[in-house]
Amino acid sequence: MLARLTRSWIAVGTQSVGGGTSTLLLIRRLAVERERWLSAREFAESWALSQLSLGIHLVALAGLLGQRVAGWRGVAAAVGGMLVPAAAITVALTAGYEAIASSPLARAALAGIAPVTAGMTLATAVLLIRSTARHGRALAIVDVLVSIAALAASALLAVSAVVAIAAGAAVGAVALGRERPTSRDIQMG
Amino acid sequence: MDPLALFLVFLKASALSIGGLSSLPLLRAELVVPHIATDDQVIQAIAIGRISTGPNGLYVVSLGYLVAGFVGAGVALVAATLPPLVIVPIATVSRRWLLTTPVAGLVRGVALATAGLLAATSVGILQAAGATAWWQLALAAAGVALSVQGKVHPALVIAIGAAVGILLAR
Repeated sequence: MLARLTRSWIAVGTQSVGGGTSTLLLIRRLAVERERWLSAREFAESWALSQLSLGIHLVALAGLLGQRVAGWRGVAAAVGGMLVPAAAITVALTAGYEAIASSPLARAALAGIAPVTAGMTLATAVLLIRSTARHGRALAIVDVLVSIAALAASALLAVSAVVAIAAGAAVGAVALGRERPTSRDIQMG
Repeated sequence: MDPLALFLVFLKASALSIGGLSSLPLLRAELVVPHIATDDQVIQAIAIGRISTGPNGLYVVSLGYLVAGFVGAGVALVAATLPPLVIVPIATVSRRWLLTTPVAGLVRGVALATAGLLAATSVGILQAAGATAWWQLALAAAGVALSVQGKVHPALVIAIGAAVGILLAR
């Protein structure tokens, strides 16, 4: 049972090239459609809880699902299965890249990869705002202003990341709580 | 940098962020600013994290490997795994409490502040890499558009960047 569980999660970790949405879809297919550990509605609730977690949301989701199926051993099977082989692949790719990193061809490639990763980072910011900002124009404007304030504090005033995040947490707990996450937020991932 | 100190850096970045790539501003502040890692390494790690399988947050494993080899990769993996799992015991004890208004607001505040920091980080990466030629700015814009739209596979977007770099930067 635990071996089967681990194998299922290894498949999730090694087949989801590119991470993010593709990983989430594979987990959903495994948990809701194939193994029927929980209903689509319960899965959405677990994903909503995962999005409240610190760090990588998909790890929290794997932990919650693993716990549901087989307690703490299930957590270890799910999280370990999803992450360890994927981390090994990541290390292998990194080592492979490092071996050619100083070649002129790799340096030229990096000159094109750098702006793309910068763009992807900005896109992550946009998607994060889109999935967390509340609906309704007034609330959404307030939320976007919080992001702009953090951007300005960091870029113009050199406020440290920790301080900006703590300020965001404080402002959020006091003023940004009204309106629960909607089903659209949950689907966004 | 000794493994324990590196572990604490990765742990702090994971524990103070919400979502995979969100740890980036904190890691950049604690690794690149004191010259433990370079911006080139950060860029490589993000790109490899996007090409590799599993959650994007595993870019920290790539970064850990670049900074301190296999030990660094292992330390980064453990540090990235622990904070998200805090939710598991909390959810079993008090699922209701997690869905209260102040908690939702706190999480929203952290996510929105992180989004602002990520925007600042993306500009920082662009500047640090000296990627300000017209075609590089165009690639950055394409990276934003394609990633927000989400229809083109991220690995393909990275490959396009690499191909254009090889054509124009040599």
